[in-house]
Amino acid sequence: MSYFFQIVISGIVVGSIYALAALGLVLVYKSSRVANFAHGQIIAAGAFITYYLTVSLGVPIFFSFIASMIITFFLAMSVERIFLRRLIGEPIISVIMVTIGLGSILDGLIYLTPFGSENFSFPNFLPQAPLALGGVSISWTQLVGIIITFILIGGLSWFFKKSTIGISMRAVSDDQFGSMSVGISVPKVFGLAWALAGLTAAAAGCIIGNITGLNFDTLHAFGIIVFPVIILGGLDSILGAVVAGIIIGLIQQFSSGYLDGNWGLSGTGEVMPYIILVVVLFFKPHGLFGIHEIERV
Amino acid sequence: MSANSWLATGNFFTTYKQEQRTFLTSLDRTFFTFFLVLLFGWPLVFELSNKYMLVVDNVLIAIVAVMGLNLVTGFAGLISIGHAAFVGIGAYTIASFCRTIGESHMIITHFWPVLIVVSGLVGAAFGAIVGLPALRLKHLYLAIATLSFQMIFEWTIQFMTFFNQGQTIYVGRVFWLTGKVGRKDHYLFWYFIILTIVILLGFGIRNLLKTRYGRSLMAVRDNDRAADAMGMNPGLTKVYAFALAGFFAGVAGALHAYVYRGVGFESFTLHESVGYLAMAIVGGLGTLNGSFWGPVAIKFLDLQVETLAETAGQYLPSSMNLATALKPFTFGLVIVLFLMFEPRGIANWWRIIKSYTKLWPFRY
Repeated sequence: MSYFFQIVISGIVVGSIYALAALGLVLVYKSSRVANFAHGQIIAAGAFITYYLTVSLGVPIFFSFIASMIITFFLAMSVERIFLRRLIGEPIISVIMVTIGLGSILDGLIYLTPFGSENFSFPNFLPQAPLALGGVSISWTQLVGIIITFILIGGLSWFFKKSTIGISMRAVSDDQFGSMSVGISVPKVFGLAWALAGLTAAAAGCIIGNITGLNFDTLHAFGIIVFPVIILGGLDSILGAVVAGIIIGLIQQFSSGYLDGNWGLSGTGEVMPYIILVVVLFFKPHGLFGIHEIERV
Repeated sequence: MSANSWLATGNFFTTYKQEQRTFLTSLDRTFFTFFLVLLFGWPLVFELSNKYMLVVDNVLIAIVAVMGLNLVTGFAGLISIGHAAFVGIGAYTIASFCRTIGESHMIITHFWPVLIVVSGLVGAAFGAIVGLPALRLKHLYLAIATLSFQMIFEWTIQFMTFFNQGQTIYVGRVFWLTGKVGRKDHYLFWYFIILTIVILLGFGIRNLLKTRYGRSLMAVRDNDRAADAMGMNPGLTKVYAFALAGFFAGVAGALHAYVYRGVGFESFTLHESVGYLAMAIVGGLGTLNGSFWGPVAIKFLDLQVETLAETAGQYLPSSMNLATALKPFTFGLVIVLFLMFEPRGIANWWRIIKSYTKLWPFRY
């Protein structure tokens, strides 16, 4: 039974990281209807910036964590300003391809640095001995990762519920023309959504980097795996992203825990989210918390 | 209509049949025939080394694949981020024949034209299955459905021992009327075969787009509710667009298997899918000649970047690994620049050049 709970714990850990990574995509999609295929690269960039600040410049990890979030905040904001602002109103294929192209450019830039080809791991700053809770163990990095994730998600939900900027962002996602007419600057909101996405991406990158080590391929694979999460959650729901992230994390851990090794299967954890995705698309395409779009000719 | 077609100023069609001709003037036809003769004739005059002939073959295979992608993404407006997986389906159809009946069996070496068509049909079947969500879904949802097909395809190939877990599966040498095609002539032989297929499929698309089945694709792209109101079935049209794209991809995959004489998993990854999309966009979405420009431009760029990285790599420390960095960087840059400054692609330049030379020396 402890094997079962161990899988539940690791599923929740992985799932909460997925939730955090998916949050960035949901924020961007909610405000500007853009699917960001360069999210994985921003996640990787955030992790590498933290590592560089901590190890090469000797900044304490807490401050470098904050600093990398601030840097990616402005990085993502400038990406939106330079590339995506011009594409407002273009067909969706152009926008998707621009984000893919941006991802490719970031790939190239990261390959120029040693991070592109080598593996690094963060210095240990937390107790090494895992925390044991009645036969189930959870490492300190995982625990701190979950706590940071939920603090960030909680903070963002508060931001959207209570603050003026957050409310104006929700207004834009609801009705762009309506919010323009009450004096909200729609392009600024788009920029802010991207910036917040960059911020959460950096946080996700740091947490992944601390748990699994820094490897560019692993980190930028997160940019693809979040698509099943956001589809299951219903593209534009923050609550959906959190719930779906944890569901996908659990499913992934359970399938690799129970399916792998039986009936000659292997690596089912990698493919399971996509099978779920196909099933969801067939039967409940707008996800758990998504909104049905009504179209008129 | 002016009696002299050389001096005609504008279109003087009196019937729909006239408008639907493939070549509007005899000059067009002459140029086109001349161009075809040139395409078939140059390898007989210039001797190209096998290395570069393979690049040329590669471009032609990409053209076949991109024609299919252009049908589904350009003409029907459905984004497919899994096109390389469809190409892979075609290649692995040949591979599974090789695994079951042996790589040098009569069927594989002698009846390869049949197998190429069979691969196309298998690709079409898979295309239709993947396109099924299109009955309900649009835009981004559909793009992500094709993305998930790509991931499932990659996993299946790497998992199943029948497909050698993604390792190369060899395909035997084919026979032509004159006997076995040897190592020396292999790429040249396939150049002629693929060129013929490209021309046939190109005319196929050209004619398809004039029939109701081609026009319905564009109607669904522009507004599927309106198309529905006009008596088309948008859902079925979308599934049919995916099947068409799957057919082209399947043919391209089979050709890939035969030209490389082997099928390996790494030619059909997500990265390749993005590459096909980039080719379609750089060439020009929703245009037939864009499907020719795009692969040529992107493959040529790849080649140039490779040589550039090699020369630059000699002067830089090896830790920079410029070669791996430069390729995605230029690739991404080209996509972004094209989308920002020339979203209609190279086909638009072609159109501008054509209308300029037609009117020269007058401005309009």
